[in-house]
Amino acid sequence: MKIAIASDQAGFELKEKLKNYLENHPYEIIDVTKSEDYDFVEAASKTAKAINEAQADRGIVVDEYGVGSSITANKYKGIICANVFDEHSARMTVRHNNTSIIAIGSGIVGEKLAKRICDRFLQATYDGGRHQIRVDMLNKMC
Amino acid sequence: MRISIGCDHIVTEIKNHVADYLTKKGHKVIDNGTYEKERTHYPIFGRKTAEKVVLGEADLGIVICGTGVGISISANKVKGIRAALVGDIETARYAKQNLNANVLAMGGRILGIGMIEDAIDVFLETIYEATPENKALISKIDSIPMSEEAINANHMFDEFIEKWDKGLYQD
Repeated sequence: MKIAIASDQAGFELKEKLKNYLENHPYEIIDVTKSEDYDFVEAASKTAKAINEAQADRGIVVDEYGVGSSITANKYKGIICANVFDEHSARMTVRHNNTSIIAIGSGIVGEKLAKRICDRFLQATYDGGRHQIRVDMLNKMC
Repeated sequence: MRISIGCDHIVTEIKNHVADYLTKKGHKVIDNGTYEKERTHYPIFGRKTAEKVVLGEADLGIVICGTGVGISISANKVKGIRAALVGDIETARYAKQNLNANVLAMGGRILGIGMIEDAIDVFLETIYEATPENKALISKIDSIPMSEEAINANHMFDEFIEKWDKGLYQD
């Protein structure tokens, strides 16, 4: 699985830690913001583009609160992005929402929890079935 | 304030509690449903709640589903909406103060009533600070090209509901 990862300046340190952590797993990590020169709109937009152009299967964006990145990514048609701060939502949002990107707030979520959130997000699979009508609705929007 | 609210069938009782809570505080509540516990689809209610805000019929929106994720995404996919999914009070403050968030989203299966009420209080009380930095980020979000199809679009999901009624979305 190919994972696009990105951050703004506030999320850079945690993004680097998550990148190092995930590189020890069987994932191909594509860092779309290699420096601290991006804001969260740029970071989330680059991640959304990587998903929409099929360069990556899933994406992880880190900014200080997660909120800005998640608002931004969802403005792109076909992108389903969740701001995640707990392990339960990390899994459920893939199972029910077919989420392709998660946003994590580096000022809110600690390193250990952020790693567990990434694990659960990347290991989960979409349930489909009755959930597909909601995903069809989301994908018709914006 | 005029507050537009919406939820899915998982958290109808929590949304009703929030409606009562806001009404007791003197706010005018526009309840977009769902009103029952019968299985339905969160984008219907996220879109409706957001539309009232964009059209100026409500000042702010509050949306709740199981994790808060699905309904927050459907609100965000309406042009002009900045919906903040929060699990803590500090993020609710930041989202309003810095991003001028106009919809607050929460997970009814994630947060307890105490956190939900507290986050709502802080979200409503916090005033947006229109600094050059904040304005620049918001206008950058606004510049992402989006269709306005989801505004004034009560029938945009009909094709999917017809498929659902025919039993074409089976687990």
